[in-house]
Amino acid sequence: MRYAYFSGCKIPHHLPEYGASVQALCSALGITLVPMEFSCCGWPIRHENPVASAYSAVRNFALAEREGLSILTPCKCCFGNLKHAQAKMQQDARLAAEVGNLLGKEGMRLPGKIDVHHLLTVLDRDVGAKMLGELVRSPLSGVKVACHYGCHALRPGNVTEFDDPLAPTVFERILSATGAEMVHWDLRLECCGHPLRGRDDTISNALMRKKLENARDAGADILATGCTYCQMQFDQERHRIHETGDGTKKPTAVLFTRLLEAALGLAPRPF
Amino acid sequence: MTVFRILLVLACCICLAGIVRRFSRRHKETAFAPAGHNHEKSSPSGRSFATALADILLLRRTARTSMYRWVMHTLILIGFTGLLVFHALDDIIGYPFIPGYESTLDPWQWLRNLFGGMALAGIVLAAARRMGNARLKTFSRRQDWLLLAVIGGIMISGFLLEASKIISPNVFNRMTESYFLPEDENDIPALQAFWSAHNGVIFTPPASTDATLIAKGEELSANNCNYCHSPTASAFLSRALATAIGPAAPALNAANADLGLWYLHIVLAFAALALMPYGKFLHPVATPVNLAVRGGSHSARPPLETTAARKVGLEACTRCGECSLHCSVAPAFAAIGNADILPSEKLVSLRGYATGTLSEHETDAFAEGSRICTECLRCTQICPSGINLQDLWLSSKKSLKHRELDGPNTTIRQCNAMQWAEVLSAQGKSRFEQIKGDGLADRAESFWGCVQCTTCTSVCPVVAVSEAPAKDLDLTPQQIMNLLRMGLKDQTLAARMVWSCTTCYKCQEHCPQNIQVADILFELRQIATERMKERKLTACPLPAATSGRFSAAPLPPETKKPEGGKA
Repeated sequence: MRYAYFSGCKIPHHLPEYGASVQALCSALGITLVPMEFSCCGWPIRHENPVASAYSAVRNFALAEREGLSILTPCKCCFGNLKHAQAKMQQDARLAAEVGNLLGKEGMRLPGKIDVHHLLTVLDRDVGAKMLGELVRSPLSGVKVACHYGCHALRPGNVTEFDDPLAPTVFERILSATGAEMVHWDLRLECCGHPLRGRDDTISNALMRKKLENARDAGADILATGCTYCQMQFDQERHRIHETGDGTKKPTAVLFTRLLEAALGLAPRPF
Repeated sequence: MTVFRILLVLACCICLAGIVRRFSRRHKETAFAPAGHNHEKSSPSGRSFATALADILLLRRTARTSMYRWVMHTLILIGFTGLLVFHALDDIIGYPFIPGYESTLDPWQWLRNLFGGMALAGIVLAAARRMGNARLKTFSRRQDWLLLAVIGGIMISGFLLEASKIISPNVFNRMTESYFLPEDENDIPALQAFWSAHNGVIFTPPASTDATLIAKGEELSANNCNYCHSPTASAFLSRALATAIGPAAPALNAANADLGLWYLHIVLAFAALALMPYGKFLHPVATPVNLAVRGGSHSARPPLETTAARKVGLEACTRCGECSLHCSVAPAFAAIGNADILPSEKLVSLRGYATGTLSEHETDAFAEGSRICTECLRCTQICPSGINLQDLWLSSKKSLKHRELDGPNTTIRQCNAMQWAEVLSAQGKSRFEQIKGDGLADRAESFWGCVQCTTCTSVCPVVAVSEAPAKDLDLTPQQIMNLLRMGLKDQTLAARMVWSCTTCYKCQEHCPQNIQVADILFELRQIATERMKERKLTACPLPAATSGRFSAAPLPPETKKPEGGKA
């Protein structure tokens, strides 16, 4: 189990704890993460320039192909954009030619099909929920977890091929192994609001508030995230919505890898 | 020597003026906003004297990313410092403090060749690096080449000067006239024969090669010259050069080449001194200071809090280009071509932005480069000068945002959708649209299947958080599809729904007719951005309407204060 590790741009400065947690978890589970100097996935620039976005993504495939590795990323927005670029290369010959031309200037060629996986998929496929369950040392019994799926991995389903876009199960399947109780809530497939952060903070805040309230009403203690941006939204940006109440701020946003680390006895409970 | 004095004073004056000018440059107060990542736990900064020293003297940060650069820069650092201490400043350091010091005695003569050779080798490696890397070559500026030319010129002229003195009978004569009292008429020819045979002086006509005369000359030299002169062979590079230029010796000697080369050498050395406060000539001073201040930190911590700390960082760049060679968004630079996307170039513009000297056009380029930066920290981790680039970017980006210079997303919200429809349609399609041909939004077949069932609107989370979507969002997704179906693309380009789409793709996933709703909204933003960029629309050209400006839309009651401290 060797993968080219695509951390994405935000982890090193904005969310280093996710990077540390992913590394620790993967090394405990025998998943080898090969560090590579990837460029941006192209997601942030997709609003303004389709060529720059596609070239950013495809260049990474060329790098991974050189090493003969599939890509693994813990970020759903990186995952989504890499998959999107892959689909675009198939559909848009003109764009593919432009990207091929830019690659040529760097002495690279258009890569063949490179597999891109989100960490959840790798855990599900290479390790499996059953195996994870057997490795659990300190089960999270009694903890109610609401899984927050993250839009860009899920949709459009025909492009991302992540899980059933209308009724996904992989997140709950993996976290059930920890012994925690999975909460059913209506808005689990909705947007966290982070894509509008800095673009339209009003709507971004409203989307975040709505989701947090829905998860809280469903009884969740923890809102589990599997994406750098979702976690930044529900943790670092949360102060913007001025929650009232007892100050316990339920549900707390926790990166799913940290929940797994705690259950496997690799780290103390993060909440 | 008066020429020397005059030039020295002149160089010092220019240098002083430059220092005053550089450090009196004031930063605009609005150029930086506090980085404000107060949610971050402060981690141990790893400040330590030893770390800073390793970074400064052993160039440890350089070694991490490129051994080539480390070798290159170490050669220059040791070579140049050695020459500065034991050669350039010998009136101040050598003669007063080293007993028996004489520049033409070993080990000093030998060391000078060693140091000069090291520095020159480093300069050659540096020039080869800039020539050899296509990207580095494109953003190498005049000052990059000037520094290499001046320092390289000092080394080359130094070697040529020494070589021309070795071969020069004029220099020989000057020395014997001043320091040698011949006792018989054979003394001078004997000394000439020895210096010609052993020390490389080239006389016209050639000196005698008679062995007894040479032996006599050796004795005379031992008694009269050796207390001040080691054999020229120890100046190993200059002596080799002297042999190489031997065939041209008569001409060079006749033209007094050593005098000309002396002028060239000191003029170049004084030029370096005069230029020291300008551009990257300052880095031998600014970079060590910055490395000491940063104490070995490779992250954005400790954050920069004072203007002085920022200034040191801004001045410490050596323009080595390592950050730009490793930049995460360098592919965007390759596609768009704005050099300000690359950190080393953006830093130059940031200096201008901070002092308020950027033109409108340059400010746009700087803003675009800043916007595209993903804050991935890589440049900060890599920077061999230890500049806290991350902090500079975070705070300048905040400043750009505050001044509404941060790009189309902000600009488009300065007028309402109707106003923009008028402005953006005025000159028809952008060049980009024309080259690219019809996109999803132009093609009728994209919408053939649309039955206006409103599924896209009813699943949209943005519509769902709005109390009055028609007013807040200008158009709903289904209305946008309808306008596009009718060929009214320009009317949709600035709708708040387009710009405040959260890109969750629910509309597209749920559409029973498989219409690529979210992809179309992406395309509309790209088209509007292209038109604004091409027409240099960095602010709404119409007087902002009092109603209908995006940011003035009514908010859901509980979110009326989007900004504020921690809850």
